[in-house]
Amino acid sequence: MSSTAPVGTAASAANRPGIGSRIRAPFAAWGPALPLIALVLFCLVAPALVLVAQTFSTPQGIGLGLWTKVLGQPVNQRAIITSIELGLASATISTLVGAPIAWLITRMFPGRRAFWLGLLDVAANFGGIGVAFAYVATLGTVGMLTLIIQGIGLNFVPPPEASFIALLMAYEYTNIPLFVLLTIPAMGILRDDWWEAAQTASATRRQFWRRIGAPILFPFVAAGFLLIFTWSIGIYGIAYGMAGQSGATPVLLITLQIGTALEGDVLLGPARAGILAVVLMAIAVVSLLAYRTLLRRALRWF
Amino acid sequence: MTNAEATAASVAVPRSAAWRVRTTTLGQRLLFASVFLYFTVPMVAVLLYSVATRWTAHILPDGYTLDWWIKTFSNDRVQSAFMTSFVLGFLTAAIDIAIVVPAVYWARVRNPHIRPVVEVTAAIPFALPYLVIGFGLLQWTGIVTPGLQGTFPLLVLGYAAIAFPFVYWAVDGAMAAAGIDRLSEAAEACGASPFQIVRRVVLPNIKPGLVTGGLLAFATALGEFAMVKVLASSVNTIPIWSAETIRSYTGDPGAFNELAVVTTVLFFLLFILSAGVVYWNRGRTVQLLPGAATVENREQA
Repeated sequence: MSSTAPVGTAASAANRPGIGSRIRAPFAAWGPALPLIALVLFCLVAPALVLVAQTFSTPQGIGLGLWTKVLGQPVNQRAIITSIELGLASATISTLVGAPIAWLITRMFPGRRAFWLGLLDVAANFGGIGVAFAYVATLGTVGMLTLIIQGIGLNFVPPPEASFIALLMAYEYTNIPLFVLLTIPAMGILRDDWWEAAQTASATRRQFWRRIGAPILFPFVAAGFLLIFTWSIGIYGIAYGMAGQSGATPVLLITLQIGTALEGDVLLGPARAGILAVVLMAIAVVSLLAYRTLLRRALRWF
Repeated sequence: MTNAEATAASVAVPRSAAWRVRTTTLGQRLLFASVFLYFTVPMVAVLLYSVATRWTAHILPDGYTLDWWIKTFSNDRVQSAFMTSFVLGFLTAAIDIAIVVPAVYWARVRNPHIRPVVEVTAAIPFALPYLVIGFGLLQWTGIVTPGLQGTFPLLVLGYAAIAFPFVYWAVDGAMAAAGIDRLSEAAEACGASPFQIVRRVVLPNIKPGLVTGGLLAFATALGEFAMVKVLASSVNTIPIWSAETIRSYTGDPGAFNELAVVTTVLFFLLFILSAGVVYWNRGRTVQLLPGAATVENREQA
């Protein structure tokens, strides 16, 4: 009857008596997951560890030599600062625009809601070089919007594609939709009955938002902010597509510097790219830990 | 390419949305109107550029033509880029489904210790830029398998690794919704063999999750740029072709219009993929983003 032994919890699996189970047990317990675990170890975990390890290896052994050298270069300092600034600016705008939109969408009738979700979904999916080109086609020197504004007689010169402000506008094309899609589930947490209860206690709409709505939603909105910040700092495709335009000096970003270091700089290239990649990693890890803490704290309420 | 670009369709809609906005204020109308314009004007611009004869001085193109579409699709580089991207997308989706489904199934019916291991690693492509993962993979394979560097198989492996969380979240959500542990227990009690259980019980019940996960993995591979650029830039994908064209653009109008054609096609493909995701998840929350699932579960409880 052993073939009909119940498939159940790990506890029952562990207690199951079997022939040679001592040897086969670990394989039986992990076997079907091994291909996935192997792929992840080879393609995600090992590369990350190697990147970190390589930044500390110098000809003299383990040391901080590379770090001081690379972080001492003004171009790298500038890139790190600009990337963080761009990430913060992008996340702030996404939050300010995205939070009200997410809230209003959850309160729409299904038909309209589906329309907006569809539009945002497509925009969120659309990224990289496509967005870079869409920006150029819209606000480049012969972009549609540029031509329209010039057509109505205004003397309008669009910002260069490789500038901070242009990148910010292009980043928002995917960041606002992502923020909305990320925070929409959380918006459902604020229950309809609470607003009714608050009204029964003769609270105004403003009081409701200050005392109930904002405190409850804050951690989720902040978590969305952190994710957008992290993702913006790591964007490469959009920046690459726009920085190549018209030979202008592009804005200095970590990701662009990694790309340039790998393409051109043979001597210090990989080392410089490595340090910058680990800087990106560190920012992402800190940001993600903060994100998890925030969400865990927020969910304690429910 | 960032995680952001890949984090696709989440159509998580709260179940209790009875609190409708019945009155729209002027401010709200303005907000939504500007958001609408912000997202549609670039789309229209790209579309118009793909059919414009000459467009350098006026509000609208001087004339319209389909020549760019014909010319672009008779371009060998473009054809091969689409072919490569499609093959990459299919392989990524197929590999991810093949390795994620057994792992999730086993985590649910036999060994719950698998789950935390997979979830921690699923956070890696979610948090780290693909550029960093790709560069790490380049350095790591340089040490252990230099023969793999710059090859198509390595790129496929890399894509399978960065896209697996989408498949994982979709399949895991589908298995939870179907109550796969109980179904599987019942099937086993009826004397079904493991193979029968997987083929006749598990797979049919998680079909929406499989399709959603597969579509998202496909979309990830279709639009990804950073990893292919650092890992195997000799592989000619749609984003690589677009990047080369946009970088080498020196003002000759033809290249601009061809880019517009390719971007339009890519856009439509992504639109269809998103529509597919939405269709396959009607009435159900897509638990694709960490947090979304937790929020949803708490809400039900």
